[in-house]
Amino acid sequence: MNRISKDAVIIGAGVVGVSIFNDLTRSGYDVAIIEKELDVSTGTTKANSGLIHAGFDCKPNTLKAKLNVEGNAMYPEICARLGVELKRLGAYVVGNDEEAVNNLMEKGKANGVKGMKKLSNSALHKLLPNLTPEMTTGLFAENAYIIDPYFYTICLAEEGVINGGEIYFDYHIKSIKQTANGYVISNGKEEIITPIIFNAAGAGYNDVAKLLKSELYNVVHRRGEYYVLDHSEKDVVKSTIFPLPTKAGKGVLVTPTVNGNILVGPTSYESDDTTVTTAEGLADIATKVKKMVDNVNLGKTIRVFAGVRSIVGEDFVIEPSQKCKGVINIAGICSPGLSSAPAISQMAIGLSGLKYDPTIRCNKIAPYTNLSKMSVAEKNALIRRDKDYGLIVCKCEGITLGEIKDAINRPIRPRTMDGIKRRVRAGMGRCQGGFCNDKVAMIISQENNIPLNSVVKEKSNGYYMLSRSGVNEKL
Amino acid sequence: MKNYDVIVIGGGPAGMAAALKSSENGCKTVIVERNPFLGGILKQCIHNGFGLHYFGEEFTGPEYAKKFVEMIEKTKNLTIMTNTFVTNIDGTNVDITSQNGVDRLCGKALVLAMGCRERTAGNILLNGTRPAGIYTAGEAQRMVNILGKMPGKEIVILGSGDIGLIMARRLTLQGAKVKAVMEINPTTSGLRRNIVQCLDDYNIPLMLQTSIFEVLGDGRVEGIKYGKVDDRYNRIPSTTKTLKCDTIILSVGLVPETDLVDLPLNRVTKSVMVNDYLETANDGVFACGNFLHVHDLVDNVSLEGAAAGINASEYAKGKLSKGKVYSLTPDGVISYVIPNTVHSGEGEIEIRFRIRARIEKSNYVIEDESGNQIMKKYVMAAMPGEMQTIKLKRDLIKSNLTLKVVKL
Repeated sequence: MNRISKDAVIIGAGVVGVSIFNDLTRSGYDVAIIEKELDVSTGTTKANSGLIHAGFDCKPNTLKAKLNVEGNAMYPEICARLGVELKRLGAYVVGNDEEAVNNLMEKGKANGVKGMKKLSNSALHKLLPNLTPEMTTGLFAENAYIIDPYFYTICLAEEGVINGGEIYFDYHIKSIKQTANGYVISNGKEEIITPIIFNAAGAGYNDVAKLLKSELYNVVHRRGEYYVLDHSEKDVVKSTIFPLPTKAGKGVLVTPTVNGNILVGPTSYESDDTTVTTAEGLADIATKVKKMVDNVNLGKTIRVFAGVRSIVGEDFVIEPSQKCKGVINIAGICSPGLSSAPAISQMAIGLSGLKYDPTIRCNKIAPYTNLSKMSVAEKNALIRRDKDYGLIVCKCEGITLGEIKDAINRPIRPRTMDGIKRRVRAGMGRCQGGFCNDKVAMIISQENNIPLNSVVKEKSNGYYMLSRSGVNEKL
Repeated sequence: MKNYDVIVIGGGPAGMAAALKSSENGCKTVIVERNPFLGGILKQCIHNGFGLHYFGEEFTGPEYAKKFVEMIEKTKNLTIMTNTFVTNIDGTNVDITSQNGVDRLCGKALVLAMGCRERTAGNILLNGTRPAGIYTAGEAQRMVNILGKMPGKEIVILGSGDIGLIMARRLTLQGAKVKAVMEINPTTSGLRRNIVQCLDDYNIPLMLQTSIFEVLGDGRVEGIKYGKVDDRYNRIPSTTKTLKCDTIILSVGLVPETDLVDLPLNRVTKSVMVNDYLETANDGVFACGNFLHVHDLVDNVSLEGAAAGINASEYAKGKLSKGKVYSLTPDGVISYVIPNTVHSGEGEIEIRFRIRARIEKSNYVIEDESGNQIMKKYVMAAMPGEMQTIKLKRDLIKSNLTLKVVKL
């Protein structure tokens, strides 16, 4: 059996695990992530609202409140470093309960959120012309951002890799044995020895905790369903609009995405660890959004999806295991998990006894090729250099062969079709890959030198096509 | 920048016919096609049934396309740009991206022949999980007929559109088990001949007023929950059943590719509105084929394309003269009519339309503003899946018109 030794191992390549990975690699540690899927950002991280919250609706004096506000402040610098788009559109909270708005303002103040202001009925409707008349009061928080959560996580992971980190995909842990000076993690083929483990397995936290024999928490899964609307609807709202929060969460919001779509959702249903969408859930969103904003045309839906978030009581759990020395438990990272991720990472690293010092390794990732951001002259120069940049593969999003090839030949080589989608948006437009899925599968096959009928959509058994005789080749 | 008399966007059966007629009419014409070849979706339609009306002979899709390509190759004045994407339309000019770079084509007239895209799982709010194994019918057709691959082994087809029906037969012949074709409506949306030749002949069950309630499976489709819906498409939960399958193919309608067009759209056709010269509200911009409305037969697509090509070339020459304009409105069981406006004058207009429900022993009637019949045509029986056509002489047009069905 192959044996590798690491300074620390992170279990789970979601935004929390990858943030720790990134911080530790830049601090000079030799670390690895082990991930059961084939790519980073395939769980909770890929299916949420894509918002960096200001932090006003967290209960004061909780980890959520503290880490959200800290994380929020860290995002601009990290995104600038990675070349990831972060748009500061601000967020509105609207409703008809004046007292609830005052409460939020107070909470914001207690949490140290800056740049909030309460809005009168007339100011609100002037700023948001398509708000329904029932919405009579609200607030605006300027320090709220929109971000592409999976693209951010991918770039963060790539930076970790070029700074010496390793990611083991498709790694299914068979056993974790405690030894005198640490742990031996095994999948039956590859053993990883480490003194420190971060359990950042998200919805799978307890599965890993069972293997470790560390603390199990009462994890409740809540499923959130969303609609994604066509680019044609992109101007229906210019900022994120929330209803006043309830016990079940932040409620059904409407927000632009960095890629020019509109996101409407989520629901919040207690459920198993599943990401099904339901007729009831989607109908519920439709009813709720109609009460808040006019003219949101759900007839222009190009995709529905659901994400799952794990909840442990009222707050995040970020603590050293009492049962397993060197294990950091990270559980219940529901909203505002994405917003808090950079701060969660710092806190978890602090608890592990490792030292955060990002001056040790400072390699930076090359920016993704993105023709849509180029001038005609720049595009022509690029196409002259390589004709692949003149051949559009995904016609809805205008993604060229050159951009897809570049996305594959990166520090982390995506081998799934959804991996390509998350990196360059091929297949993410209004035809949802109807015209380009096969082309993308062929490019993955060619660039990675694997058979076409072994290319998968997302999961290792999710083959896209069979051979003529009905066979698929599992890698 | 390059100059042409007529620019045609789309090299399918509509665009090819339009470009041919335009260049034959003496206009310097260009076809802009995003694929590496001309022919559009015809290339993957390897079944027969094409060409009886246009060529008086029956062809497969690729043969039908080849007929046009051969004529195009013999035609002077006609430039073909393949692997070329239109990224923007500005009046009768277009911006393109190709392996030669980004460029602008300037035309005196423009023909929109971009066809359709297929409705997706997202468009129909398909519930459940989102694993691999869900395809649109055209995507599956390309996989089987062009790439020589298979989407799966145990297949459920949702929607009874023609492509779905043809794929039911194709996948059966290729060794897959097509377990059912499910249609949410009480009638099929495909042609009668396809129901008989693609489903009945292969004992593939057609389940009407039935839909998929939930997709099952994590990495790959593992099955579905399905059941009956009532007349208002509400699910009847007591009818829910589970069916094992590894593939879901969606044949749930087509949407014209109007993304680049900044024009008001018709609610039913979801495309631009045109006059009797197939000209849109933008001067010199013409529309035809499945881009304008979803046709039943490719022959009708090409006939409409040819008409648009002639009109566009006449416009480019400054010779398209029009009389007084009147509206043509569909009424009752008629779901839409093309054209939306008509002109008085000389010659004959081809009027194309569809009906919402089956009709028998009726007259199609065109009435003027005062309710007088200006023309009628007897129809023995007609189905929603079949496009209807009548002709109208322009010299009869003297006011706004209504098209209706009168039961005899």
